[in-house]
Amino acid sequence: MRIETCYFCSSKVYPGHGMLFVRNDCKQFRFCRKKCRKAFQRKKNPRKAKWTKAYRKLAGKELTIDPAFEFEKKRNAPVKYDRELWTKTVSAIRKINEIKERREKHFVMERLRTGTQREIHMDIRDVQKNIALIRAPEGIRKKDTEKLDVTMEDEEEEIVYMPAKEMEKKLAAGIMDVEMQKIKN
Amino acid sequence: MPYARARHHDGHTRLRRRNRLRNKTKDLDQIDKDLKEGSDQLLNQEVDLDKPGFAQHYCLHCAKYYINQRALDDHFKTKVHKRRMKALENDPYTHEEAEKAAGHGSFDKTPAKRKMETQPSKDEYSCGKRVKVDYFTQEELNSKKRKSLNSSKVTEEQEMHE
Repeated sequence: MRIETCYFCSSKVYPGHGMLFVRNDCKQFRFCRKKCRKAFQRKKNPRKAKWTKAYRKLAGKELTIDPAFEFEKKRNAPVKYDRELWTKTVSAIRKINEIKERREKHFVMERLRTGTQREIHMDIRDVQKNIALIRAPEGIRKKDTEKLDVTMEDEEEEIVYMPAKEMEKKLAAGIMDVEMQKIKN
Repeated sequence: MPYARARHHDGHTRLRRRNRLRNKTKDLDQIDKDLKEGSDQLLNQEVDLDKPGFAQHYCLHCAKYYINQRALDDHFKTKVHKRRMKALENDPYTHEEAEKAAGHGSFDKTPAKRKMETQPSKDEYSCGKRVKVDYFTQEELNSKKRKSLNSSKVTEEQEMHE
């Protein structure tokens, strides 16, 4: 028994499932379902359809090169049954799968982490650029303070940077008011 | 005089007919093989009365017969032909690549890029020009990237000036 892979989406094709297309030059194409077969008939490129494994690997969304991928191999010569070998391989398969999964997960999490870091960076830049919306520009502020009171001039407004999510939580809990008072004092 | 029925709601019948097995056209990997091995044979075919233009005007990249030289030359200027050339720039997709993508072996990134040129005309062919499939070297690819980057920079600058 052999578990084949789909030509288009690279998913598993179990015996009795999917279909095999043999072109008139004897080349074989295996498909897991109608969706993949139709896509092939329409001459779609698997490298460009976003739902295929080929696309995901090409676009750097999944782990591509790793020694853990090298264990699974196609073997055309049958192996004589040996109970010890059989039990060993089954236990090895479990171990390898565990390692592979862990590495794949790690890769994806690393990828996502760069995204969040970029987001934070962009947020900070956004605030720096549009600071005028939060604090009045220097010139206007001076005029206002001169009008109101001369003694107010020396006081600098303090800015406390805080992640927006934490702020929301604190606002909800009502702790924010106490902190704001502290800053004012 | 009765008018022809306006066909606004045909459904997918025509698309389905186009994709039927009996209407199957060559796949990209077959065309790739033609370009590498069988180009001389396909460009100099014997007269076949059953084929369009007696099989004398054949487009290698699109695997299609045309009725005369003018139709073939016009075809070379079309989007269909240019799109096909672009699609053939990459190495063809294979079952092995699908298996590697599934996790049987490491998946080596980015298919290799080739130079694609429209087939030589009959005069050029008689002068000795042949169909070739050459890969881009790394230097050429880098210079190509640089060029595209420069051009995008120029357009940005122009926008800034405006």
